[in-house]
Amino acid sequence: MSNTKKALRYFAKYLKPYWKGITIVVILSLISSGAQVMAPTYLGRSVTALTTYLVDLKKGTASMNTFYSALWSMFLFYLLSQIAIFIAWMVMSKFNADSTNDMRENLFAKFQRMLVRYFDTHQDGKLLSLFTSDLDNIFNAMNNAIFEIISQGIMFVGTIIVMFTINSTLAWTTIATTPFILIISVLLMKKARVYIDKQQDEIGDLNGYITEQINGEKVIITNGLRQESVDGFKVYNNKVRTALFKGQFYSGILFPLMNGLNLLNLAIVIAMGSWMIISGQISQAIGLGLIVTFVEYSQVYFQPLTQITSIYSMIQLALTGARRLATVEEQKDENEVPNGKVISGLNHGVKLENVHFGYNKDKEILHGVNISVDKGQSVALVGPTGSGKTTIMNLLNRFYDVNSGKVTFDGTDVRDIQLTSLRNNVGIVLQDSVLFTGTVADNIRYGKPNASMDEVISAAKQANIHDFIETLPDGYDTQVSDASSIFSTGQKQLMSIARTILTNPPFLILDEATSNVDTVTEEKIQKAMDTVIAGRTSFVIAHRLKTILNSNKIVVLKDGNVIEEGSHEALLKEKGFYYKLYTDQMAFD
Amino acid sequence: MENFKIILPYLKRYKKDVVCAIIAILVSAFSGLYQPKLLENIQKALMANQKQAVLSDGIWLVVLGIIAIISGIFNVYFAAKIAQGVVSDLREDTYAKIQTFSFGNIKKFSAGSLTTRLINDMNQVMNMMMQLFMQMLRLPILIVGSFIFCIVIIPRFWWAPVVMVALIFGFGAYVLRQMNSLFTKFQEMMDQISNQAQETLQGVRVVKSFNQGPQEIKKFDQTSDQLNDYNIVIGYWFSAIIPAFQMIAYTVIALIVYLIGKNITAHPSDIAVVSPFVNYVLTLLFTIMIAGMTLMQFSRANISLGRIREVLETEPDVKFVESGSVAPLSGSVEFDHVSFTYPDGDDPTLKDISFKIKPGQMVGIVGATGAGKSTLAQLIARLYDPTKGEVKIGGQNIKDVTEAALRKTVSFVLQRAVLFSGTIASNLRQGNAQAKLHELQRAANMAQASEFIERYNDSFDHEVEERSANFSGGQKQRLSIARGLIAKAPILILDDSTSALDAESEKKVQQALEHELPDTTTFIIAEKIVSVINADTILVLDDGKLVAQGTHEELLKTSPVYQEIFKTQKGKKGGNE
Repeated sequence: MSNTKKALRYFAKYLKPYWKGITIVVILSLISSGAQVMAPTYLGRSVTALTTYLVDLKKGTASMNTFYSALWSMFLFYLLSQIAIFIAWMVMSKFNADSTNDMRENLFAKFQRMLVRYFDTHQDGKLLSLFTSDLDNIFNAMNNAIFEIISQGIMFVGTIIVMFTINSTLAWTTIATTPFILIISVLLMKKARVYIDKQQDEIGDLNGYITEQINGEKVIITNGLRQESVDGFKVYNNKVRTALFKGQFYSGILFPLMNGLNLLNLAIVIAMGSWMIISGQISQAIGLGLIVTFVEYSQVYFQPLTQITSIYSMIQLALTGARRLATVEEQKDENEVPNGKVISGLNHGVKLENVHFGYNKDKEILHGVNISVDKGQSVALVGPTGSGKTTIMNLLNRFYDVNSGKVTFDGTDVRDIQLTSLRNNVGIVLQDSVLFTGTVADNIRYGKPNASMDEVISAAKQANIHDFIETLPDGYDTQVSDASSIFSTGQKQLMSIARTILTNPPFLILDEATSNVDTVTEEKIQKAMDTVIAGRTSFVIAHRLKTILNSNKIVVLKDGNVIEEGSHEALLKEKGFYYKLYTDQMAFD
Repeated sequence: MENFKIILPYLKRYKKDVVCAIIAILVSAFSGLYQPKLLENIQKALMANQKQAVLSDGIWLVVLGIIAIISGIFNVYFAAKIAQGVVSDLREDTYAKIQTFSFGNIKKFSAGSLTTRLINDMNQVMNMMMQLFMQMLRLPILIVGSFIFCIVIIPRFWWAPVVMVALIFGFGAYVLRQMNSLFTKFQEMMDQISNQAQETLQGVRVVKSFNQGPQEIKKFDQTSDQLNDYNIVIGYWFSAIIPAFQMIAYTVIALIVYLIGKNITAHPSDIAVVSPFVNYVLTLLFTIMIAGMTLMQFSRANISLGRIREVLETEPDVKFVESGSVAPLSGSVEFDHVSFTYPDGDDPTLKDISFKIKPGQMVGIVGATGAGKSTLAQLIARLYDPTKGEVKIGGQNIKDVTEAALRKTVSFVLQRAVLFSGTIASNLRQGNAQAKLHELQRAANMAQASEFIERYNDSFDHEVEERSANFSGGQKQRLSIARGLIAKAPILILDDSTSALDAESEKKVQQALEHELPDTTTFIIAEKIVSVINADTILVLDDGKLVAQGTHEELLKTSPVYQEIFKTQKGKKGGNE
C-alpha cells in the first residue's frame, strides 16, 4: 500500500502547480454534467408541449411557442455541455502535457546529479524505459483517467445526494450492495494485479532471453545450438502464455461482472419498491413513480463503478510508472560540496593515502593503497586485469568516494573541494570513448562549448586526428553519433584526447585503449599521449611499454595492493613482479 | 488485410474456442439488447399495476443479470485463451524462423528490432485479438442495426442519419489526417528524447568529468519542450473530436424533433417516435466512436503484423543441405578464388583469395584493421557464403555439408567474448553438451581460466550473471576460449580472442594449444605479430587481398607489407630487443 501512496504523492507533487487548471476542469465538469442532466428533461418537455398542442388544437387555442422554447433550451443545454467538455479537455490537455514535461525534464536533470554508482549498477535499457514507457503510461492515464475520475466522481456523489433527497429508503436499497460489490472488485483487482505483475515479469524474462540469445547469435550458430535455443525459448514462452492468460482473464472479467451486478441491483431496487407498496408504506401512485425514477438512478449510480473498472489497468500501469519515477527521485545525489574549496591549478601534487575501497560493502578491492604524484610528474599504473587500476581512476575525480583513507589534491581532501572545481582541474581520457550526436567540432569542444574554431583545430592537430577529420566529407562539420561507424575505436580515443587538450586541465587521468587498434592508429595515439602528458601531472593506466618508459614513476598493482614502486631500471633490478611482467612480454618480441 | 492472413492458420488451431467465444458474444449481446426492452416492460407493468408481470419480469431481470455475468466471463475466458494461444504460437514460430537465419539476416534486422517484434509487436496483435473477440464482432451488428432502425422508424427523414454519418466520417477523416502527420513528428521527437537520454547514460563519466550536466539539461529541455508542444496540439485535437461528434448528433436530433413538431398536424403519431429515435441516434453515435477506437487499434496491429510477416517471409541467405553425413570432416581448409562482398556493402571485403591449409597446421592471419581477417574466418564457419569461389573443408565444398557436420568440424572463438546467463559449466558445455567435468577442467586449464574458476567455492557451478557483469573482460575471453576448446573440433579459429589477456596469459594459452592440440588446425587472427610468430604459416591480408603467405622468417624477407607491420610494432616496444 505504501507503494501506491508513493505513486500518489508523486502525482500530487507534479499536479500541484496546476491547481488552477484542475479547479477549472472540476467546475466545467460540474457545468457539463448539470447541462447533460437538464437537456433530456427539456426533450421530455418538448414532447409534452407537442402533446398539449395537439389537444389544444381542437380547442383552437394552440400555440407552438412552448414547444419551440423547450426544444431551443434542449439544444442550448447540449451545446453548453459540449462546450464545457471541450474547454475542460483543452485545459486538461495543456496541464497534463506540461506536468508530464516537468516529470521528464526533472528526471533527466536528476540523472545528471546522481552517483555514477547508480548507472554502473542499473541497465541502460531499464533506465531508458522510464522515458519511453513509464512516462508514456502516465501521460496516457492522465489524459484518459483524470477527466473520467473527476466527472464520474461528480456523477457518483451527485446521484447519491439526489437519491437521498427523493427517498432515503430506496436510496439505501440502491447503495446497499455497494460494499459487497466493492469487496468483490477489490479482491478481483488484487488478484488481477498479482497476475498482471507476474505477466510483466515473465515478459521481462522472455525479453531478456531473446536479447541475450540474439545478441550472442554468432556463438549459437557456430556451436550449432539453434535447436537448443528454440527449446529454451519455448520454456519462457510457455510461462508467458500462462501468465498472460491469467492476467488478461482476471483484469477482463471486472467489466462484465459490473454489468451483471448492475442488473441484479435493479432487481433488488424493484423488489424493495414493490414491497413498500404492498406493505402500504407509500401509495401506489407515488410508489410506481419512485420505482421508475430509481431504476434510472440505479443505472446512473452504477456507471462510475463500471467506467472506473474499465480503465483500471491503465491506472495500474500509471501508478507503477509513478512509483518507479519516484524511486529514481529518491536516489542519492552527488555531494557537490557547494561550500568547499575552489581550486585553480595544481601546485604540489596528488596523493592517495591509505585508501580502502570496494564497490560493494562486503568486497574490498583496494586494501590501503598509497600513491603520490608530484607536480609535473607522470605515474604509470601497471598490473594484471582486476588489480584495481581502473578503480583508482574512479576515485581521483570522485566518480566514487573512498571507504576510508583519502585522496588529496595539494593536500586538500577531494571531498572538501567543490565538485565542479575539482572536475575542472582533472581531465580524463577514457578507454571507451563516446561521441555525442552533433558535429565533429562540437564533440571536440564538448568540455568548452565556447571554444573558437582555431582552438578546436589546434587541439585536433595536437591529438593527431586533424588529418583524418580533413578527409571527412564535411570536415569538422561532419555529423557524427556514437553509433555511426565513421570513427574507429582508436580514432574515438584520439577525439577524446583532443577534447581533453582543449580544456587544458592541470591534472590528467589516462586509460590507454588495449585492443582493436591497428598499428598506424596506435602510433598516433602514442604520440598524442606524449603530447598531452608533457608538462602536466598525470596518472596513466598503461598497457604499452613505451608509455611506461616515458613515465617518471611506475606503480605496480596486484590484487588491490601496491606491491612495487619505482623507476623502470630500479624495478628491473628488484627482479620482482614487474620484472616478470616485463620479461614475459619481451618473450613475445 | 494481407497481413491479417498470417494469423488464420493459428486461429484454426483454436476452432472450438473461437466457436465458444462467438456463442458467448452472441449471448451477451442478446442480453445487452434485451435489457432496455425488459426494463421498459417492467415500467409499463408497474404503471398498469400488473403485479404478476412485475414479478415475472423481475425474475427475468435476475436471470438476465446472471446470464450477463456468466456469458461475459466465458467471453473473456475464451477471448483470452485464443489471444494468448495464437500469439504465443506465432511468437514461437517467429523465433524458430529467426533461428534459421544466417548471421547476415539477423544483422540486417538488428537484434533490437527482432526483440521488439517478438515482444511489443506481438503485444499489439494480442490486444487486437482480445478486442476482436470481445468487441469487434458485435459492433457491425450494432452499427448496421441502429442505422437501419433510425431510418425505419421515420422513413421521411432518411437523409438525417445519412447526413450525420457522412459528417462524422468526413470530420473524422480530416482529423485523422492531421493526427497522422502530428504523430509522425511526435514519434521523431520521442526517438530524439530516447537518443539524448541514452547518450548521456553511456557517456555519464564524460559528462561528469567535463562538468557538462547543466549543458546537457539545457539541450534535453529544448527537445522535451518541442515534444510537449506536439503533445499539446494532439491533445487539443482530441479535445475537439468527441464534443464535435456529439454536437453533430445533437444537432441532428434537435433538427428532426423540430421538423416533427412543425408537421405534427399532418403526422400526429410521430410523437411516439421522438424518444426511440433519440435513443437510436445516440446508440449509432457511440458505436461508431467505439468502432473508430477499435479500428485505430487494428491499424496499429496491422503495422505490427506486417513487421512480423517480414520476419516470417524472409528467406535465410545461408542454406544448409538437409540430409547427409553428420560426422565431422578432416581439418584441411582450402579457399579457391574466394571473393566476398557484405550484403549491405559496395566494395568487396575479400578479393580473389586462394590458399590451402593441411590438417594440424597453425595458421596466423595478420593485416591492418579492415583488411578482411575476421571476414575470412567467418567464411570458414559459413556465417556467410562467398560471393564468388569456394571454401572447402576436408576436400568438400562446405555448401554440400550438413550444418551438424560443419559445426562439429569448426570451433570458433569470437573477437567479442559473449557469455550467457547460467553457470560457468553451462556456458562451457555449449561447446559440447556431453562434456565431463575433467574435460571442462582441461579446457579451462588450457585457456588459463582455472586459476580464477578455482577461487570460487562453487567452481564450475559459479553463476554467470545477466550481461556477464560479474566477470572482467579478460575472464570472459578465457571462458570463451575454453568453450571453443571443449568441442575438440578438428578446426579451431581464434579471432583476436586474446586481446584482453595480459601478455603472460596469452603466451600460456598459445603454448597450451601447441602442446595439447597438435592435430588441430588452428587459425589465429591477431593484431600483434608476436601472437603468430610461431605459426606454421602466416597469411598476410591487405585491403581484402592475400598479399603474402609463409613463415615469419620467410615473410620478413619477402613481404614488404609484413615487414612494415613488424617494423612499426617492434619500434613501439622502445627499442628493446
